[in-house]
Amino acid sequence: MSGLGMVTGFNLVLLDVGIIVALTALFAWIVNLILRGVMRASNPQVAVAMRRLGVAVVVAVGAVLAVQELGVSPSILLLVIGLVAVAAIVAIRVPLENAGARFFSGIYSPFKVGDTIRVAGQAGRVIEINAMTTILLSEDDRMIALPNSTFLGQPVENLSPQAWKELVVPVTLTGSTDLAAFESRMLKSLSKLRLRLDPRFPPVFTVKSRSVQGADLVLTVMVRRPEDREPVLAEVNFRVSEELVHVRQSAPKPPDPSEPPSGS
Amino acid sequence: MPKLRILVNTQTPLVQFLRVPRDTRTTAEPSSVDLTQLTEGVDYRFSPGGVTRMVYPLLRKLLADGVLEDAHWVSLNPNAPATAHLPGISLHHVAIDPARMAGYGTTKEAIWATAHGLVSKAKSEGLFWTDDATEYTFYNRTTAMRIRELDHDLDFDLFYIHDFQQLPVGQMLGTLKPKIFRWHIPFDVRSIPVDWRPVMQRYLSAYDRIVVSSDRYRRELERLGHRGDVLRIYPYIDPAEYRTRPAAAEVDAVCEKFGILRAHSVGLIVARMDPTKGQDRALAALALVKNSLPNLRLVFVGNGSFSSSKGGLGLSKSDRWRARLDEEAHRAGISDRVVFTGHVTQAELDALYERSDFSILPSVNEGFGLVVVESWIHRRPALVTDRAGVAELITDGENGLLFDPDSATGLARQIRRIAADDGALRRRLVDGGRRAARTCSLETAARQERELFESLVGG
Repeated sequence: MSGLGMVTGFNLVLLDVGIIVALTALFAWIVNLILRGVMRASNPQVAVAMRRLGVAVVVAVGAVLAVQELGVSPSILLLVIGLVAVAAIVAIRVPLENAGARFFSGIYSPFKVGDTIRVAGQAGRVIEINAMTTILLSEDDRMIALPNSTFLGQPVENLSPQAWKELVVPVTLTGSTDLAAFESRMLKSLSKLRLRLDPRFPPVFTVKSRSVQGADLVLTVMVRRPEDREPVLAEVNFRVSEELVHVRQSAPKPPDPSEPPSGS
Repeated sequence: MPKLRILVNTQTPLVQFLRVPRDTRTTAEPSSVDLTQLTEGVDYRFSPGGVTRMVYPLLRKLLADGVLEDAHWVSLNPNAPATAHLPGISLHHVAIDPARMAGYGTTKEAIWATAHGLVSKAKSEGLFWTDDATEYTFYNRTTAMRIRELDHDLDFDLFYIHDFQQLPVGQMLGTLKPKIFRWHIPFDVRSIPVDWRPVMQRYLSAYDRIVVSSDRYRRELERLGHRGDVLRIYPYIDPAEYRTRPAAAEVDAVCEKFGILRAHSVGLIVARMDPTKGQDRALAALALVKNSLPNLRLVFVGNGSFSSSKGGLGLSKSDRWRARLDEEAHRAGISDRVVFTGHVTQAELDALYERSDFSILPSVNEGFGLVVVESWIHRRPALVTDRAGVAELITDGENGLLFDPDSATGLARQIRRIAADDGALRRRLVDGGRRAARTCSLETAARQERELFESLVGG
């Protein structure tokens, strides 16, 4: 094959790779949109995690196809990734299980730090929930560390008075979000649900952590009746998701470097 | 104890700018100004009100005593440079959108009126669910974020948050560092709507100490269900700031300015123009004694607050109240017996105290009532509403005369009592008042505040 032919063939490969990358980006965007629509009433953190997972799968498939198009066998790449993943899972199975349980129990388990709970024959006040364990302080001043995985496999009793009223929704804001404006809009939005909420406890946001990357908040709402828990939680999740979309769409765009700065 | 870096937060700023200083080279408004380079009364003035009048002398004293390394003061001041500097004290100004200011103002006025018993509990229920209340939250969140930014750069030792407008700030700060909240207005759990109580408890519990102005408020906080530490520190003033013996010529000039004659007997009421200050109660009592005391004149000193001032939040209600007082005086036929001075300078106020025969604090409800202490410092007997925090320092007939502000006859009786005195009662009230004033001195309070700081930061 002549040199010109090789160059042309290589260009075609690059074109194919480019098309694969573009299609991957398009599919990832579509999957993101679909998941956002499907999971509107889900917990915002779970919805974000699922969207990230969906996008990651699409990107991974796209990457394998692109590598294959470049003439490299994807089998070795897949084998290496697979072996590393298996080794990691075997090596840190227990911590992973607990961390995973922490993620889901943090969102779905009906207790928080400060509550008094009973689980797996142990009872006490929750004084810490970390990535691996949940620590209880018993009435006789004993510290009891329970692996987080316990809470996915055991019935948990929350003994705190009127614990059923409380719904806790974690919310993550990006660094560019105006926290005060977001909070103000959310409180206005949630006041529309007042009939379903305990009139003595207006919704409240608590900032758990804050950095230049963003802020982790917790939204606490108190329902008026036990049967309102599920519909109110879905509605609150929906409203938070909507507001996050609004915030993202109304966020100031980064300056276009091709344009001269204003005032110059 | 090492020198502390303290963050103070009040709604009312220490200074209001009468004209926004401009950078002479660029004509742009500077983001930071040095107040020592500006002229008080021309470029700026100190805000009226008890909170700022207490906090500023305290900070200066604690700086002078070496307790503080420096102080940073965050407040709402939409018409001011972002920062201003005094020796040892940096003022940081928060501004919020005027559209949000209205909602914030409505909410905080509702809280204030409810705490003072001016509106029914039923009318105040549901306040924290209103759209206006979201602006109250917005303001407090904006303030808390500003304080967090400053703390990131300056690493404060202590946060001292003042008054009900700022109550949520402690919870919003989310810091483990010591936080003190000072409650300045009246606190009676019976006036607090049931649906406010959990909200208030949540916010109050975010603080390491609550400071109140009377033992009564401490008991009321316990009745609310607050289980945290509550400390009573009486409000205070610095006697050195007052000229208790102004020159006769100054007194004559002020009397001439306000039409006060030598033959007149003068009762002085120093309070901003506001319904809760009870100026109407004093007018009602005057109407009852106008025939028996024809030479008695009541002199009302004061105008609006920061909130109602044009340079402040623009929530004017003082003008409406003043107009109503004029109407009531006219209706009672005592228009020629009253003088409304509006705002006066400190020198004029000292001269008016010197000219007065007694002072009256007729408030319907009053967090404390520092003007009573001012009156004591000026050696003038004080007639005091029994609904003021300062009333717990008063024994009737010993260091003051107490009355129920809802009883015009009660106040009229005390006015007649002091007017009929042959001198013995006056001497007893003046001497007793001066002794009580020491309890409310800057010196006493600075010691208590220093001990409070040490208990939180470590001695």
